[in-house]
Amino acid sequence: MSGVLGLLKGLGVTLGQLPKKKVTLMYPDVQPEWPDRYRGVHKLMPDLCIVCNQCARICPTSCISLSGTRGEDRKLHLETFDINFEICILCDLCTEVCPTEAIQMTDTFELAEYNRDAIYKDMNWLTENGKQHALRKGLSLESTEEAVEQNNQLEGNA
Amino acid sequence: MEVINDYSNQPKVEFEGFTPEESGELQQNVFVGALDQIKGWARSNSLWPMTFGLACCAIEMMGTGASHYDLDRFGIIFRASPRQSDCMIVAGTVTKKMAPLIKRLYDQMPEPKWVVAMGSCATAGGPYVRSYSVVKGVDQVVPVDVYIPGCPPSPPALIYGLNKLQEKIKLEAKGKKVPLT
Repeated sequence: MSGVLGLLKGLGVTLGQLPKKKVTLMYPDVQPEWPDRYRGVHKLMPDLCIVCNQCARICPTSCISLSGTRGEDRKLHLETFDINFEICILCDLCTEVCPTEAIQMTDTFELAEYNRDAIYKDMNWLTENGKQHALRKGLSLESTEEAVEQNNQLEGNA
Repeated sequence: MEVINDYSNQPKVEFEGFTPEESGELQQNVFVGALDQIKGWARSNSLWPMTFGLACCAIEMMGTGASHYDLDRFGIIFRASPRQSDCMIVAGTVTKKMAPLIKRLYDQMPEPKWVVAMGSCATAGGPYVRSYSVVKGVDQVVPVDVYIPGCPPSPPALIYGLNKLQEKIKLEAKGKKVPLT
């Protein structure tokens, strides 16, 4: 008799769960909503970068490598910018030291690959990632250009 | 006549998992591609990973297995024994002391088997790249199919990687190779 009661009690718990809201996030069908300061893959705005090398210096795993040349206006322009996501730990330190906010975190997380070489990302990929991020978030791409202009004005005043 | 003799002297292709008689019959223009594809479909949809966590990535892996992200939706059910599993998610830092044990566990798993390197540590050493005691990537010990960067990767990132592995299994059953991009 007690066995039957136990069974009914157990089934009661099971049936009680049925009308409740489902807790599972249906990820591949529904994209997850990340908080604004989620540390995903970086985005890069090459026009803003002043090649100060601070991101590469502060990186705890030294996964950033960049190079630039001095243009005719005597400013440094970014030529290559690579992040090795094999060892990048997405710690956000590079975005914190960046004086012009040329490198920022996005909510991109889909980075799994079949071989290690493909995880090494270059400047074009990071820029494209920024564009995709802006599209997802509904941000305007012009905000980058505005930031560049603001930066130039600030430099002119100084 | 010489041509026929030459042909019969050539080494016979043995099909895996069949007796010599069946293998001989399979030589006679039997189309086995469809069977392989059905096997690939079944294998990819009942991927049983071995419970194998080494560091903080394992916490994230457990979180993915629990009801909030629910790996059971993809038929991915954790098994406690290498003999019952066909996939190894290397979640965490692989030290040089642990590497031989990973190799042994990998060898104990029955074929076919796949390995997922989860997190920066398993992919390339992560924050311990310059350490004296950490293996710089688990692919130095066992062959890895999918690399998932992140420190640790979030549960959706792990699900993305496992879905990529399922795609790879289906693609390789068709006799194709995954693109190296």
